[in-house]
Amino acid sequence: MIDLKTRKLNDDTHIAICMVAPALTGLFLFVALPFSLALILSFTNLRLGSPLPIQFWGFEQYRRIWLDPSFRHALLNNGLFALVVVPTQTILALGLALLLNRPLKGMAVFRTLFFMPVVFPMALVSVIWTIIYAPGADSMMNAFLKFMTLGLWQPRDFLHDPDLALPAVMLLSIWQGVGFQMVIILAGLQSIPTLLYEAAAIDGSNQWSQFRYITLPQLRNTLVFVGLVTTILSFRLFDSVRIMTGGGPGDATTTVMNEAIKAAFDQQKMAKGSAITVTFFLIVLIITLLQRVLVREERTIE
Amino acid sequence: MNNLESTQWISKRSNQQWLEKMASYLLLIFLAFLFTVPILFVVMGSLKPDELVLSEASTLKAFIPQQVSLQNYHDVFERVEFGRFFFNSLLINSTILVLGLIANSLAGYAFARLRWRGRSLLFVIVIALMILPFEAIAVPLFFQITLLGLRNTYIAQILPFVANAFSIYLFYTFFVDLPKELEEAAYIDGASTLQTFVEVIMPVSKPAFATVAILTFLTQWGSFLWSLMITIDEKVRPLPLAIATFQTLPPIQWGDIMSFGVMMVAPILAVFLLFQKWFVKGVASTGTKG
Amino acid sequence: MRTLRRLSKLILLLLCFSGCRTKATQEGTIQVWVHTGQAAERQTIEQQVDRFNASQTEVKVELTFIPEGSYNAQLQSASVSNALPDVVEIDGPSVYNYIWQGNLIAINTLLSPQVRQDLLPSIINQGTYKGRLYSVGTFDSGLGLYSRRSRLEAAGVRIPKGNRDAWTAKEFNQALAALAQKDPDRQVLDLKLNSRGEWYSYAFLPLIYSAGGRTDQPVDRFLNSSSAVFAMQQIQGWIQKGYVDPNLDDASFESGRVALAWGGHWNYQTYAKAAGSDLVVLPLPNFGSGSKTAQGSWNWGITTNSKSPKSAVRFLEFLLQPNEVLAMAAANSAVPGTKRAIAQSRLYAKGGSLSLFSSQLLLGQTVSRPQTPAYLVMTSTFEQSFADIRNGLDVKTTLDRAATAIAIDIQDNQGYPDVHSISKRHDRSENTKTQ
Repeated sequence: MIDLKTRKLNDDTHIAICMVAPALTGLFLFVALPFSLALILSFTNLRLGSPLPIQFWGFEQYRRIWLDPSFRHALLNNGLFALVVVPTQTILALGLALLLNRPLKGMAVFRTLFFMPVVFPMALVSVIWTIIYAPGADSMMNAFLKFMTLGLWQPRDFLHDPDLALPAVMLLSIWQGVGFQMVIILAGLQSIPTLLYEAAAIDGSNQWSQFRYITLPQLRNTLVFVGLVTTILSFRLFDSVRIMTGGGPGDATTTVMNEAIKAAFDQQKMAKGSAITVTFFLIVLIITLLQRVLVREERTIE
Repeated sequence: MNNLESTQWISKRSNQQWLEKMASYLLLIFLAFLFTVPILFVVMGSLKPDELVLSEASTLKAFIPQQVSLQNYHDVFERVEFGRFFFNSLLINSTILVLGLIANSLAGYAFARLRWRGRSLLFVIVIALMILPFEAIAVPLFFQITLLGLRNTYIAQILPFVANAFSIYLFYTFFVDLPKELEEAAYIDGASTLQTFVEVIMPVSKPAFATVAILTFLTQWGSFLWSLMITIDEKVRPLPLAIATFQTLPPIQWGDIMSFGVMMVAPILAVFLLFQKWFVKGVASTGTKG
Repeated sequence: MRTLRRLSKLILLLLCFSGCRTKATQEGTIQVWVHTGQAAERQTIEQQVDRFNASQTEVKVELTFIPEGSYNAQLQSASVSNALPDVVEIDGPSVYNYIWQGNLIAINTLLSPQVRQDLLPSIINQGTYKGRLYSVGTFDSGLGLYSRRSRLEAAGVRIPKGNRDAWTAKEFNQALAALAQKDPDRQVLDLKLNSRGEWYSYAFLPLIYSAGGRTDQPVDRFLNSSSAVFAMQQIQGWIQKGYVDPNLDDASFESGRVALAWGGHWNYQTYAKAAGSDLVVLPLPNFGSGSKTAQGSWNWGITTNSKSPKSAVRFLEFLLQPNEVLAMAAANSAVPGTKRAIAQSRLYAKGGSLSLFSSQLLLGQTVSRPQTPAYLVMTSTFEQSFADIRNGLDVKTTLDRAATAIAIDIQDNQGYPDVHSISKRHDRSENTKTQ
């Protein structure tokens, strides 16, 4: 017996609102609301705990952070970081994915090994690499470099050297993140129809041209996506910097987020911290929009 | 080409292929070694007496403990309440996971399969919110939580992360691709929307749930920034913050720190090794969705 | 799906239990926050709390340990949400900012006169702001140079007998060079560079005073004065000449790697254990105006959040009894904060191993860090400047930057004026007593 409930088949508003309520309330309370609050706070001089009344400061916070050498250095560091880490990590991930994309035995094992660092929390990774970067001839990194340069390398204190500190952080970031990108690229590689390669082989093209004219174009979207994600992640850099160097030496490793937390949490300057995070968001937004433009170009060509 | 020549050509090809194979393997082994060096170092270091961890780091002795001892593990438990941190991490993460799966899947389904007023507008807002990384709201959220007096609680570490725009989106893309017949059959049987969701849609959506679960787990387990800002004492601290604090707690003994690290990562590593396929699938699918 | 339901129920249960900690203070319970210091200090304060709780039934103390690294940040944000405990421990001169914010109540009228009179003058000086006493410390601090006599003699270095004949800057550099010659890695000085936080202001501002820095200068002018530049350049010199240990672990002096260690009273026990009778405690070098050293340490205050200030004071007075003061001093080797306790202390009475510290305090050879609400900003800025200087950046530029940052902060806070709310709160807690 079929019992047809009368229902307005075209309008599920009531039940739908109930279903989205939890998630949307959460998003509103913990994402939208704080962000609006950040915007508002960034136009004031709010300091946590100050007995003085809060004042409206207009764009003063923004003016200050743009004039602040620490903040500018942080932006520079984030930019440098992205410029180095994004291509390096992507190329490395691509290389590993290509290596793993063979029907050879044991590929799964290697894939696991390369992916393992991703599972490590960044806090732990930072602690481990702090000791790898220990100063003195006894440290692992110094000894390794000495070995690789056949004895020419002099021991350095990586995390306290203004020139080496940022590259040191870059290295461990790449170590931790490559596996993630590799897996995504590998999936992209495996979705390229082998038909294309077969056709190319029949036409007599060698491995290199196959790579250039089939693999790369097919991977374009994946690579762009991977690049975008890594770029945004590199602007979010905080954990390793906070734990390993505190932003030092000088401002050599400080990042935008480190400055924001320093202002808000260490110095109680809520307004300054908010201004920095709003600026940070604008940067991320611009990068994302740029990516959309790039990808759209690709789609229209197709 | 006569028979002899073609045989020679075939064996040359297979020699070449064998060489390529060997080269690939060698390269892979070398790279895999480089990748696992830090991990090996930590594990071995946790078994050594503290003074040797630093001094032997430059030689191959770093990877071979001469006297294996569990003293460091013992020390960790004596110096801090490791069990508590572990419990905290577990509690916080599983709650976020479970509540998140429920809330986000419901929302994703409503956007994907139901028609209702306000759907398009709210959906656009959700997509827009996807760009906001947590860091963009950490500071004002800290202010909010502090004003509410919720500092140093589990709630403060759980609630803000339950609803997630990206998870909603992932669920949405999955549900959108499901055949319409699923619901139609259920409606004819007289099921309500909720019933349909729970009894018909969810069982076939295991891949989506697995993917979201794994991605959420990967991002939340290592969460450091927020717990740093929001917790005050050890009672509600999770593992990543605990190890960072432990690293600076006098007296600084690297052997102890290493064993803390091992104990901290062993469970996730175990979970990862068991559910490898799902991890890889989940991560890979973000690429196709992007 | 069923597992999801079951899991959710389990988690809900767990949450209930975990959330059900009694946060509301019951009658007669006071919450006390303490910094997580050395292991011995931690144990001692726990034992003291146990003894206090056991000695009477009207007041129960609940202790919470806060990691030292973000201690100030935690206190500040707790004060906003009215989550401050009854009693807080505050490090040295940070206390003035909390007083200015209106977080602490004045305790001169709450503290009994006998206890007041027993306190060291430096302790009272530390806890006083604008004429009122807000905090008390159970111990004061000592800072000096630890060394091994045998090493100094082997290198032919003169050993100062007391504060009056401390090494001059030149002599100190010569001593470092002589010691370095006998040391394979040439690193002979431990400056505790792995520290974060208050150490840098505490340990190195005395050098600035020794070089002529004046205590009556506004803080920002003090920090980039010529004395400050001179003092910091000296330090930078030692580092750049390779004399300073990078401190990857905490054990450069104990293990014998370095001959000289800049250290406080809290290092005494570890160092004494390692060096035995070979240990000498020496004054800091004299940069021109006499060898100066630091004073001040953790002190206890009662917050405006406290519903039972009288009970809180009982706890503090308990901690200030001679045997309790001595118990803590035994744990951390600090200078006992009361006169009666010093007289009974083996270490600090005349002839004791650490009598240098007590005599410096009693003879006025110590200088307190700047006593201003701007201190918090000053110390974090100075920490950063020190890191820059350590890494080779130009001293004058770095200090100028620091001075500007502090000046801007003072301006932003309108000079840290006496906000009306402070006096209002104190009238509340002092009832009708006037000061």
